[in-house]
Amino acid sequence: IWSGAKSPTLCCVLDEEQFRLSCQLLLQRSDQLGDGWSWEAVQGSEEGYLRKTALRSVPSDWGPLHDQKGFTASTGSDFLRAEEEDDGSYTVTNSSSLVLQYEYHILFSCSYGAPVLYFRAFTLEGRSLALEEMWSTIHPNYRLCFQNCPLNAISQQEHPLLGQPFFFFHPCRTEEFMGPVLQAAPDQGRPVNYVLSWLSVVGPVVGLDVPLQYCTALHSTKPD
Amino acid sequence: MITLTMADDKDVLRDVWFGRIPTCFTLNPDEVTEREAEAYYLLLPRVSYLPVVTDKVKKHFLKVMRAEDVEEMWFEYEGTPLKWHYPIGVLFDLHASNTVLPWNITVHFKNFPDQDLLHCLSNSIVEAHFMSSIKEADALKHKSQVVNDMQKKDHKQLWMGLQNDKFDQFWAMNRKLMEYPTEDGGFRYIPFRIYQLFAHSFLPYVLPLFFPSVLFFLSFILSILLLFPASVVSNHKSLVSFGTRILIRSKNSDELNLKNYGIFI
Repeated sequence: IWSGAKSPTLCCVLDEEQFRLSCQLLLQRSDQLGDGWSWEAVQGSEEGYLRKTALRSVPSDWGPLHDQKGFTASTGSDFLRAEEEDDGSYTVTNSSSLVLQYEYHILFSCSYGAPVLYFRAFTLEGRSLALEEMWSTIHPNYRLCFQNCPLNAISQQEHPLLGQPFFFFHPCRTEEFMGPVLQAAPDQGRPVNYVLSWLSVVGPVVGLDVPLQYCTALHSTKPD
Repeated sequence: MITLTMADDKDVLRDVWFGRIPTCFTLNPDEVTEREAEAYYLLLPRVSYLPVVTDKVKKHFLKVMRAEDVEEMWFEYEGTPLKWHYPIGVLFDLHASNTVLPWNITVHFKNFPDQDLLHCLSNSIVEAHFMSSIKEADALKHKSQVVNDMQKKDHKQLWMGLQNDKFDQFWAMNRKLMEYPTEDGGFRYIPFRIYQLFAHSFLPYVLPLFFPSVLFFLSFILSILLLFPASVVSNHKSLVSFGTRILIRSKNSDELNLKNYGIFI
C-alpha cells in the first residue's frame, strides 16, 4: 500500500527493532522530563515493554462508576453534570472526582506491526476496575466515537507477557491513523517517533497525557 | 505448486467442527445451596467457548441456589481456573487429555479469581474476543484486507455460526478468510498459536513462507489447521492439534528443526 520508505521511521508498519529504538528515544526524553516511563525487559532477551504508573483523577459524573457495589465516592456532594450539546458532544463542568491508580504498558504486536497499549486501573483501596467502570473513566466525547462497537476498541485481554487480565486498545486501526502522519513527515523535514506519535493519539483517551515537551528533544537527538 | 481446495477437505472440516468432549459439571462443595446439587452432563464442542455453551449448566445449578449467593460463574479443573477465552478443545488438550472421560469440571459462583480470569458477563464479550482473534489472524494472512472488506453483517454471521453451532453458516463466511490465492503468493504468514501450561507467553507464532523447504511443512500444517487461528497445544514437547498428536517429518531425511522457523515448544 505504501511505497518504500527513505528512512527507517517512515515505514507504515513497525518492526520490532524500530519499536525498541523508538521506545529508547521516548525513554530518554521521559527521564529528562521526569515523566515516569521505564523499560521492563523479558528475562534473557532484548524483548520488553514500556511501563508507567500514574494517579489519575476522574470526575464523578461520567457514568455509573459510583453506583457500583462497594465502590465509594471520595466526596458525596457537588456531582458534576455531563451536559449534552446540540451537536451531540458533551461538556463537563467541575465537581467532585475520584482518584484511581493506573498502570500503562506499551507492547509490540508482531501481527499488526504496531505498538499496543495495555492498561489497568485500581481504586486506592486496591480493587481493580471492571470493564463497565473503566468505560466510565473515558470522557463522554471519546465514548461517542466508540459507541457503535465499544468492545472493538477497548476490551479485556490476557497480557501476552504477564498472563494477567488487562484492558487493551485494539491495534487494528493503528495503521489507519498513523499512515497520514508518516506520509506527511518527509514534507515537514522532521523524523517521526512512531511510538510517541501513536501514544499521543491513544493515550489521552485513557487518561494518559503526553506533554508537548516530548517533541522538542527529537530535533536535537536525531540527525536530519 | 500446491493448490488446496476447501471442497477436498470438507469431511475433515466437518469432523473438526463436530468434535465433542463429554463433560461432567459438579458444583463446588463450598457453594451455599438449599439442597444437594446433582452433577450435570454435557457434550462440549471443541471449537467453541465455555460461556457460550454453558447456559444450561448455569440454569441447572441456579435451581438449588438463592439469587443472593450467585455471582459471576467460573470453572475450575483440579484447582486451576479455566480460561474461558481459550477454545474448549484447547483447554481439554492442555489440562486433561491424558485422563479418563468424562472431563470433570467444577462450577463456582463466588470468589471470582480476577487476577487469573477475564470477566465475561455476556456473550458479546466472547464475540469481541473471537472477532479480535479472527482479525489478528487475517492481519498475518492477508494484511487484514479480507476481514476489512467483509461487511459488519458478514462478521456477525461468522460469529453467529460459531455461537449457534451452524457449520454451513460459519463456513460460508470463513471460506473467504481461508482463501489462499496462489497467484498473489498465498498467505503472507500462517497464523497459529502454541499454548503451554505454566508459561505466560502467548505470542502468535509466525511462519515465514519464503523458504522452499517450508512448502512440505506448509501443506502439512494447512491440511490440519482448519480453523484460524488454530489451536496447537504443546504438552511435554509434543504438538497436539485438535486432540491429535502431530509428528513432524521433513521432506528430506533430516529432522525438521522447528527452531529454524521460530517455533519454540
